[in-house]
Amino acid sequence: MTVVFVVVAVSLQMGLGLLLALPLAQQSRSNNLATALMLLPFAVTPVVSSLIFRELLNPNYGWVNYFMGVVGLPDKTEWLGGTTTSWIAIIGLDVWQWTPFVALILMAGLQSLPLEPLEAAAIDGASRWQSFRFVTLPMLAPFIAIAVVLRTIQAFKTFDSFKVLTGGGPGTSTENLNLDIYRVALQSFRIGAASATAMVFLILLSLLVPVMLRVIGRGSDPEEV
Amino acid sequence: MSSIIVTGQRASVSRALSRTLLWVWLVVAMVPLAFMVLTSFKPEGIARDIPPKWFFVPTLENYTRVLQGGAGSSVGFDRLLFNSVAITLGSTLLTIAVAVPAAYALSLRQFRARKALSSWILSTYMFPPIVAVIPVFIYAGKLGVVDTYPVLIIPYAAFNLPIAVWILRNTILQIPYEIQEAAFVDGASRMQVLTRIIWPLLVPAVATAAILSAILSWNEFLFALSLTRSAAKPAPVGVQEFTGMFGTQWGPLTAAGTVIIAPILVMTLVLRRRIVSGLTFGAVK
Repeated sequence: MTVVFVVVAVSLQMGLGLLLALPLAQQSRSNNLATALMLLPFAVTPVVSSLIFRELLNPNYGWVNYFMGVVGLPDKTEWLGGTTTSWIAIIGLDVWQWTPFVALILMAGLQSLPLEPLEAAAIDGASRWQSFRFVTLPMLAPFIAIAVVLRTIQAFKTFDSFKVLTGGGPGTSTENLNLDIYRVALQSFRIGAASATAMVFLILLSLLVPVMLRVIGRGSDPEEV
Repeated sequence: MSSIIVTGQRASVSRALSRTLLWVWLVVAMVPLAFMVLTSFKPEGIARDIPPKWFFVPTLENYTRVLQGGAGSSVGFDRLLFNSVAITLGSTLLTIAVAVPAAYALSLRQFRARKALSSWILSTYMFPPIVAVIPVFIYAGKLGVVDTYPVLIIPYAAFNLPIAVWILRNTILQIPYEIQEAAFVDGASRMQVLTRIIWPLLVPAVATAAILSAILSWNEFLFALSLTRSAAKPAPVGVQEFTGMFGTQWGPLTAAGTVIIAPILVMTLVLRRRIVSGLTFGAVK
């Protein structure tokens, strides 16, 4: 389930992040405001955002059900009472909190791209979609790679929202490896079992290290051009 | 001719669509924050009204109650905040004190292992804190330091160091080495070069690294939850106990939440794009 969470959350963030980065990268006065607003969710302490989401999802008093009722959707959902809806909540929180990070990385990337290749494509008669797909996207690839790698690592380490928003529940249906290790080690005090899981987790994440070194090391090391 | 006009129109339509999407996202993304801030100013009686009351006489009662320590948690919120500030300051100072010399050493050409070590330091970012919690918990128990400041300050510094070292190292590498050489020719020592030449040029990067470390320490939850009981408990751990036996009191909870995020919100807006640059280890400018 940890892996499913990482894959779903990171893919949603990448897709949405790219869609948001495109208008954000244009120079305009309203975009200064947009960038500042964009940063806000990402600055919120994860524990606080988890608590706020939990109250927003309250079946009786929560704003989510209220607004869903206003637009005519079912408004009696027990969000944290079911497995599927709990996953939606936890992924929704992650998307809310971290999409801005992805969008701002891609925005910085888009703004640093040279314009000449795009002009050349336009002269050669490329459509907007073609020039995006075959010129912008390949040039943006290093930035996409940075965002994917960092978000994947962070998503694997997610603990706060699982602990506070769903508590792993209902039952253990939304437990990820972090919460599982925490519970086995510090609530059941089965240190051996928890350490074993932790070692496997560590080895799993170590596989990401070479990818991370290539992506980050290449981008920021002036000696290794 | 006509085809150009058609593409032009289509382009402006898709541009308008993507701008609309951006603003829809921003409005929806503000709802949780609006909920928190609005509710924190509502009198207790109407906090949970559905449909939400949009117009009301704002009150500070939730804030005074929370800041005087009179809400749900076993430790007063004023005490929790003080702990958070102490731990954040301590770990930030420790991070910078270690990161500046480390970054300088990693920038020196005479230092053979600098590339391997830089990579090693970067790769520790991958290390999941949950894996470190178990041994730290056991040894902290044996040393009798559970529920003290250092037991959080030291691990926080350890987790912040990869980012801090990389930000500083990248900045030092951008300073032309000739400046240092010139100082050496004039008879400066290594220490004088670091304090008189490098340090003044490094101050903005140190500020970025310090603010980032402060934000990360302020927000940390896992270690704080595992290694504190009451005396050293920081705010994020305390605030999640507000929801408890008697259900959740929205007023104190949202007031406490607002107090916790206010300082980092300000710091984030001060840093703006440098925060993204910093969190990507300087890979994105």
